[in-house]
Amino acid sequence: MKKILTLFIMLMIFISISSLAIADDPEDENETEDENEVGDLEIDNDTEKEIEIMNNSLGAEIRLLQLQKAIIKNLLQGEMAVEVLKALEYNTTSLELILSDMKILLEDVKVVNTSSNDSVQLFVELKYEAKNLTRQFREAIKELLDGEKLNEIRERIREMVSEEIQNYSKQIRNKIKQFNRNRLYQLYGIIGEANNSFINEYLNGNITLDQLKYHLCKTINHMNKERKYEIFSEIKKDNIKKKINAQASIDNMKNSGKGKGHSKGK
Amino acid sequence: MNKKIISIFFLLIIFISITLGYSYYISNSNEQQYNSPIQTISDNNISEEIDETFIEEDDEIEIGEMV
Repeated sequence: MKKILTLFIMLMIFISISSLAIADDPEDENETEDENEVGDLEIDNDTEKEIEIMNNSLGAEIRLLQLQKAIIKNLLQGEMAVEVLKALEYNTTSLELILSDMKILLEDVKVVNTSSNDSVQLFVELKYEAKNLTRQFREAIKELLDGEKLNEIRERIREMVSEEIQNYSKQIRNKIKQFNRNRLYQLYGIIGEANNSFINEYLNGNITLDQLKYHLCKTINHMNKERKYEIFSEIKKDNIKKKINAQASIDNMKNSGKGKGHSKGK
Repeated sequence: MNKKIISIFFLLIIFISITLGYSYYISNSNEQQYNSPIQTISDNNISEEIDETFIEEDDEIEIGEMV
């Protein structure tokens, strides 16, 4: 009789565990897989988000200009740090080597064809390399200076004003405005009514992007439930399409065994 | 002893029923979400989708600090 009782208890434990496994939410499993896939490619969440707009040449142009600006900013900061170190009679050869690699990288970013199919892949690789060189420089300068001197250089860098960077900022802002204008026309196409004066006001800088978004939300919210749902579905569909395209680019990189860095100059 | 076995058996049945009921409820509520989206759209949902459509003008790419 004891044997039967033990068997029953074992059966109960076995069935409980398997039932819990069935009841468990399968979404958790998918999330872990996604993280692993991205992790294998060394593409962080920010980069994944950034490439979502690169399926058209204007989006690609914006991302590559932003990357150029980030590299130039770091180059100028690096050059300033090297000048300070030279004045203090430090050996700056290793730092200068990193900066010259960064200059080559900047030229590589400048020549990427924004209309080509591999612009996304190149962007990911070049951004990865830019981050890598920045890290190398940071580590090399840390070996040369103590915390106090590093803080002094940081302060000087913060005060730095560059016309080149300001020009890049203006150029990027104009491209983003063009991009948002195109999106706005698409949205008005979905909504079924266009407000040209509103678009012009935005382009001229008379209204902000937040005001524009608020106006759009208000317009959609005033519609009846069915129409609101139709518009919401269309907008969501477009946003999902962008994510699918970005994921497809990542999968392509994974399949071609790339995405682990641009190896120029190494 | 027989009574004990019967009570364990009943407990087992109750436990399985609860688990199956819970899993049925979970899958059913997921289906409901997909089948009746009109009820689930809030002003916030629309605003989130619109936010995703545009790029912020001060958007930047981060590659880290040099110092």
